Amino acid sequence: MPIFKTPFNGYSVKFSPFYEDRLAVATAQNFGILGNGRLHVLSLPPSPAAPISEIASFDTADGVYDLAWSESHDSLLVAAVADGSVKLYDTALPAAGNPLRSLREHTREVQSVDYNPTRRDSFLSAAWDDTVKLWTVDRPASVRTFKEHAYCVYSAAWNPRHADVFASASGDCTVRVWDVREPGSTMIIPAHEFEILSLDWNKYDDCVVIATGSVDKSIRIWDVRNYRVPVAVLNGHGYAVRKVRFSPHRGSLMASCSYDMTVCLWDYMVEDSLVGRYDHHTEFAVGVDMSVLVEGLVASTGWDELVYVWQHGTDPRAP
Amino acid sequence: MAMRDLVTGAANCDPSASSNPFGALANALVGSSSKTQERLKEIPTTTPAAGSQFFAQPEDRLRAIPGSESDHSLLPANAQGSEFLRRFHAAEHGGFADAWDEIQQASVPSVPHDLRVGMNPQIQPTLDGPPQRVLSGVLHSFVDSSRGGLPFRPAQLPLLGLSEGDKQCIRDRSTIMARHFFADKSEDFVNEQVNALLHSLDIDSDVRGKGPLPGRFRELEDYWNESQGMMKPGPHVGDAWAVEFNPHRGEHSGPDAWVNSFEQQHGANGWASEFEQQYSQLATVDQMGGVNVPNLAAMEQTRMLAHTLAQNEDPKFQNSKFLQFVSKMSRGELIIDDNQVKPAPGDWASEFQQQYTAGPSWADEYLHRRPDQWANEFAAERETNGALDDQWVNEFSKLHVNDWADEFGQQVAEGSLGDNTADDWANAYNEFWNEQKQQSDGSRGVYVFSDMNPYVGHPNPLKEGLDLFRKGLLSEAILALEAEVLKNPDNAEGWRLLGIAHAENDDDQQAIAAMMRAQEADPTNLEVLLSLGVSHTNELEQAAALRYLHGWLRHHPKYGTLASPDMPESLYQADVARLFTDAAQMSPEDADVHIVLGVLYNLSREYDRAIASFQTALKLKPNDYSLWNKLGATQANSVQSADAILAYQKALDLKPNYVRAWANMGISYANQGMYEDSIRYYVRALSMNPKADNAWQYLRISLSSASRHDMLNACDSRNLDILQKEFPL
Repeated sequence: MPIFKTPFNGYSVKFSPFYEDRLAVATAQNFGILGNGRLHVLSLPPSPAAPISEIASFDTADGVYDLAWSESHDSLLVAAVADGSVKLYDTALPAAGNPLRSLREHTREVQSVDYNPTRRDSFLSAAWDDTVKLWTVDRPASVRTFKEHAYCVYSAAWNPRHADVFASASGDCTVRVWDVREPGSTMIIPAHEFEILSLDWNKYDDCVVIATGSVDKSIRIWDVRNYRVPVAVLNGHGYAVRKVRFSPHRGSLMASCSYDMTVCLWDYMVEDSLVGRYDHHTEFAVGVDMSVLVEGLVASTGWDELVYVWQHGTDPRAP
Repeated sequence: MAMRDLVTGAANCDPSASSNPFGALANALVGSSSKTQERLKEIPTTTPAAGSQFFAQPEDRLRAIPGSESDHSLLPANAQGSEFLRRFHAAEHGGFADAWDEIQQASVPSVPHDLRVGMNPQIQPTLDGPPQRVLSGVLHSFVDSSRGGLPFRPAQLPLLGLSEGDKQCIRDRSTIMARHFFADKSEDFVNEQVNALLHSLDIDSDVRGKGPLPGRFRELEDYWNESQGMMKPGPHVGDAWAVEFNPHRGEHSGPDAWVNSFEQQHGANGWASEFEQQYSQLATVDQMGGVNVPNLAAMEQTRMLAHTLAQNEDPKFQNSKFLQFVSKMSRGELIIDDNQVKPAPGDWASEFQQQYTAGPSWADEYLHRRPDQWANEFAAERETNGALDDQWVNEFSKLHVNDWADEFGQQVAEGSLGDNTADDWANAYNEFWNEQKQQSDGSRGVYVFSDMNPYVGHPNPLKEGLDLFRKGLLSEAILALEAEVLKNPDNAEGWRLLGIAHAENDDDQQAIAAMMRAQEADPTNLEVLLSLGVSHTNELEQAAALRYLHGWLRHHPKYGTLASPDMPESLYQADVARLFTDAAQMSPEDADVHIVLGVLYNLSREYDRAIASFQTALKLKPNDYSLWNKLGATQANSVQSADAILAYQKALDLKPNYVRAWANMGISYANQGMYEDSIRYYVRALSMNPKADNAWQYLRISLSSASRHDMLNACDSRNLDILQKEFPL
């Protein structure tokens, strides 16, 4: 399957929810420690043999750590930038016209953004300033700031079903579940003994299951209706788990990537939960996504400056 | 207006969309040109009025997108919050909007501010500005070089001049990332690793801005668990939420009910504020504790840790560019200079900071220094020097000076001066001394004896001095050896040992003076010649150093044939180095030759070669502490401060009272920005030899850099009691 080489170190990859052949990649220079960033919008070829083509790319003055496709406009992207800004891009416009907006409120690096899939004009940003912010596309300032975490917030994700509910994962070793109608968080899950870098909601069964990936190398699955103990603990990564993503197509399937340079697929319902392990990256694997429109299509990126797109079960490196 | 409606397909015209309908039309038709216009508008504005214009634009664009999937029309943009919310209420999710409305009202004061922040013209920093390009190039060539096995030379970086923001980025981001990579290790371990890494980048102490990075705390978890425990008796918040979360959530358990129950349990601000308070207390503790800098053991751990990752059995890890990057940074092989005034790059080969206001050689040295740094240092020294010179002269007037007495006797009077009393000519001498000082480097080569020497009259001061020297009691040994050379002024061995003792006591002036007397007594003594070569190298006197090192070769029974019998008019480092390379080929097992080569390469600043030479010599003489010190100093000069500290430590293991190594250790820490640590080492060195003037100056600089101005008085008055109490090691 095709490969795309990015000039900078990959940080995040996301499939478009509108076009099955489109995806975007967030990258940062010098491993995101210092330097510029670039956002790539890519188009998959009709046949696997052809190369991936770049539709657009946007430069930023600091690394881009994450991106999210709009759920309402096929060409709209939100980017999490290391300088603390959240930027909106219209990929249909030339680079000169972008970003549409640069929202500067976070005082530290923004590590993740997530677009609300049900209330499709709002999105979240999670940042190292310990806060999560809620934005809408038509407002100049954030609608609300959620400040309860005691350390960097690495990830925030909307519940796929309940438009007002989201969860955040933090370096303070907790996951918090929030309802934007409430003044504070409604649930605190001390999910790991170590920093939690990522979380995602299961898209099935009333959307009450959360997966968390931690520096402790494990992935844990939680049911918010009974969160005292994890539903499952998935061990197998050799270093911190950087990102977890539930499959949009199968309720118990999920993908993860890790600083151990591998991408893993899991079925948390079964005993031998590790379904597949891909070690195609030669540096930390930090971005993984599963296509909503094409079942089984997986994309990953890493600090080896490569973006892989492949069908689950095939070799990402196969030509 | 109508035209615009046609183009955009909007049901009603947004009055705030644009002041110019044709502009909007153009905007909708040709995005790029109108973008320019927008950007121009965007830049100067901070007023809300202009804001509405700004917001209208993107919305227009979104509507104009062909094939837009928008299934519910976007709300008309309006900068007026209330207007926005009024319209918003009409939209579907009423509860959502209500909650937001409340929140917005509750936090009214912050809104204008946020708005302004959001409206700030977008800053477009130079994407390819020279600093980033240089850094990027260096980082990548450095990363690539690890593959080709080529030595990485961070030579360009000192010119780089990273901004405060850049440094903060490097500091904060590597800190946070390192926590993720090194999670296997204990918290302390990770912190030490991070500190070492950052200090080796020379970043930490001068970057101030957002305050200390909050860490992860064990205590915090305890607090957390306590709080959890406190919550348990009642119905748990989360449980209530989970009930509510149930898809069959009824209207009766609306948000208000939830809020009420929450407030009943926790008060208005509840758990979050409690948590925050506790946290901030912890953060304060951390801020204070954060000053603690890693000790030597931590440095070693750092190296081990960097290797741990590299030694992961997975070959992919060994090839990881990033891990190589991290481990190289942690070894200090990547240095970012910050244009700060610091002690000289450490060490015996560059301890050029002479007390005296130097004459012609000053200009030469100046050429080798980075001007800005030198100028600053010089200015700082000038201040202290004035006082020091006076002090020195006063001190001198009280001393018993044999050779000076002789010399002086010819100028002033004959016979009337006793051997040990100089009081009566002290004043006259002062005048003479001042003249000398003005002429040039007056103190050069004049050995200054100590006052009140208890060893005068000792039956065998040479043996006593040697014993004391072996015990590491350098200051005592110096007194005994002074007694020896007072007794037997022609004893070359006595003078030589005295010189070595002074060199190890970090006093090259006295060392040179003693060695010159030793050479007078025995012009061909090889050890004396070598010592003089080293001491002059320390003082950056290349010509003199080369002369003595060449002399060493010429008088050596084995290598004498290599050198031309006549002393050439002027010696060049390369020529001398070539001679010694030949000598090394003749007898590769002769550690001395390698030592001299190491010294020579220091003179020419070929530090890699110098390090290799010293390492070769150390294989032959692994227990030569002074050799370890030389290695450390050379490594410090080649900006490998972390390695240097290990070498110094080795020297100190072999000889705990090695003042020079203590002082050098301080310099290395200072060079890494770890000023608090450097202070401790300087103080230790000074407690062993309070006369090490260089060390006092370094101490003063480190105190200033560490913002310990409260201790400057103690430093200026040389009050070691206070300093030792304040900075125990």
